[in-house]
Amino acid sequence: MITRRALTRGLLASASLLALWPRTGHADLPADAPAPDDPGFAEYVLDRVDDVHRGRSSHAIVTMHVKTKRWEREMSMEAWSLGKEYSLIRILAPKKERGTATLKADKDLYTYLSKTGRTIKISGASMGGSWMGSHFTNDDLMKSSRLADDFNYSVRPGPKIDGVPTWALVLVPKPKAVVVWGRVDVMVRQSDLLPAGQLFYDEDLKPVRKMEFFGFRRVGAYDVPMRMRMSPLGGEKEGEFTEMIYGDIEFDLDLEPSFFSLSRLETL
Amino acid sequence: MLDDLRFAWRNVWRNTRRSVVTISATALALFVMIAYTGMVNGYLAGMKANIIDLDVGEAQAFAEGYREKPSLYTVIEEPEAMVIALEREGFKVAPRLLGTGLGAATDNSAGIQMIGIDVDRDREVTKIAGELKSGAWLSADDDGVVLGWRLADNLGLEVGGELVVLSQGADGSMANEVYPVRGILKGIGGLDRVGVFMTQDAFRELMVLDRGVHQIILRTPPGVSLDAATAQADGFAPDGTRVSSWRELRPSIASMLDASEAAMQVMGVIVYLAVGIVILNAMLMAVFERVRELGVLKAIGYPPGRVLLLVLLETAIQTGVAIVLGVLLAIPVNYAMTHQGLDLSALGNISVMGVAFDPVWRSRVDLSTYTGPIITLVVIVGLAVIYPALKAAFVRPLDALRS
Repeated sequence: MITRRALTRGLLASASLLALWPRTGHADLPADAPAPDDPGFAEYVLDRVDDVHRGRSSHAIVTMHVKTKRWEREMSMEAWSLGKEYSLIRILAPKKERGTATLKADKDLYTYLSKTGRTIKISGASMGGSWMGSHFTNDDLMKSSRLADDFNYSVRPGPKIDGVPTWALVLVPKPKAVVVWGRVDVMVRQSDLLPAGQLFYDEDLKPVRKMEFFGFRRVGAYDVPMRMRMSPLGGEKEGEFTEMIYGDIEFDLDLEPSFFSLSRLETL
Repeated sequence: MLDDLRFAWRNVWRNTRRSVVTISATALALFVMIAYTGMVNGYLAGMKANIIDLDVGEAQAFAEGYREKPSLYTVIEEPEAMVIALEREGFKVAPRLLGTGLGAATDNSAGIQMIGIDVDRDREVTKIAGELKSGAWLSADDDGVVLGWRLADNLGLEVGGELVVLSQGADGSMANEVYPVRGILKGIGGLDRVGVFMTQDAFRELMVLDRGVHQIILRTPPGVSLDAATAQADGFAPDGTRVSSWRELRPSIASMLDASEAAMQVMGVIVYLAVGIVILNAMLMAVFERVRELGVLKAIGYPPGRVLLLVLLETAIQTGVAIVLGVLLAIPVNYAMTHQGLDLSALGNISVMGVAFDPVWRSRVDLSTYTGPIITLVVIVGLAVIYPALKAAFVRPLDALRS
């Protein structure tokens, strides 16, 4: 343990040394980041992962590419978010689904179906269902259970992802937490604590899906992975994936909670 | 012989009270056996009929792999030839489309199981069209849907309301549509909570599924055994499609039925045993009370064979009268239990292992409901009377007179 800490310190030291050098394309370790052996480290990192596409508020054009064994399709969408509680995502194309939109406001999730002109509230068992035909679930969108609340975590050096060394946060559900995963590994790059990957395990501790982050780019005050990909592992869906490709993203806009209303959902 | 018969008849009525007690005990026992047999048969047949008529049919065809892992894409590709061939063989056949999705009303949503049916053919294979709590069953020229009652309850929907369905089409598109609620079913079992019945056309349009079906429900031709009919139907199935009987499809219910049948038989044996002991007792009393009398017969030269014959004849007369009385008693009760039945709906909606039961318990009665218990009764009486009859036949006159 002592050697690992020493190693950590060394790594951190070299990372801060790097900061003195001209930009290498990697962002720096944030100034307020706790050290990996600090009890607050995991929480800090998890918040950072959660907020990577969010900032205080955000607006983005996203292309969602879904590939399954049977079909492959692309949808383009426009998304707004404010803090953790509010987001609104609307389909721009294809034409047949244009206008279909999802609203998350506080603890509620609604989907507006443009074809039928109805809004439905997603709740209960349907939270685990696929969101807009992708490999994401409605629950992923809600992140109703914050990882830090429901899991115990430990920090250890993770695998190299894209040649970059990572920290792995190993999350194990608290005994009484109602969660779908048996374990979640969150990998963040050691250099800047940005997300590199996530691995989700089922109750038998078999990895069942993974999320990867690519194409980091500096947008305003944030470093953002412009592409993320969710792939189911093992079983029938092996080889399928959903990719979210951020075209344009801007942060810290002037958005009010009142923007995220049912009437906005239906009239966008 | 005729003398013996007349003698036996006189003997029977010599002690009227004793004979009346024996006869009524026997008649009552027969009545209980007949009524019990009818009720058990009705209970078992009713359970089976509910499973077959409302849910499974006698057999079903699926594409291989569908039952293990239901998928919109696992279809019987070309069911038409099979359907035509089976119908020619006297089967009744109804293809169905199956899919899952999300059903929503104003404030609520719930997971649903969609069943797309061929309205005309389906009417031939299931009785579900008659099981409506309110509203009307599907019609081929109407886009209304019919819901399970619990689903309707959970979503707060009534006939005339609107159900929004959200799913994923076969091409990956977001399948969504609004359907008027045309009817709500009574309890039919597993589909109460999730079932949404719609026409095949509506299903195909919603799910963008042009061809193939997921399930074919079969009713076998009358008079053919379940196994034989299943095997025959399987012979007509295209490659990659399997036909399974309801026993294979619902093994737990099939074994539950077998278990209840066995339990009923055990109960039956107990009832019959109890009856046997009552009769044995009556016979023993009837003979032993008359040991002196029979001893006199022996003393005046009656051979043992004639005494034996006499006792057997007396028993036969009593049993004959008892059978007539027992049957006369059973007929009205059976009539009421088949036509009116025993209404158990006060106990609530009865459902066992996902199968709804008719809350009215009806007997099932045919000739064997009577002949079975009667034959059993005669055998029991025969066995019960042998010992006292032999005892009477071979009693030593002196011993008998002295006692």
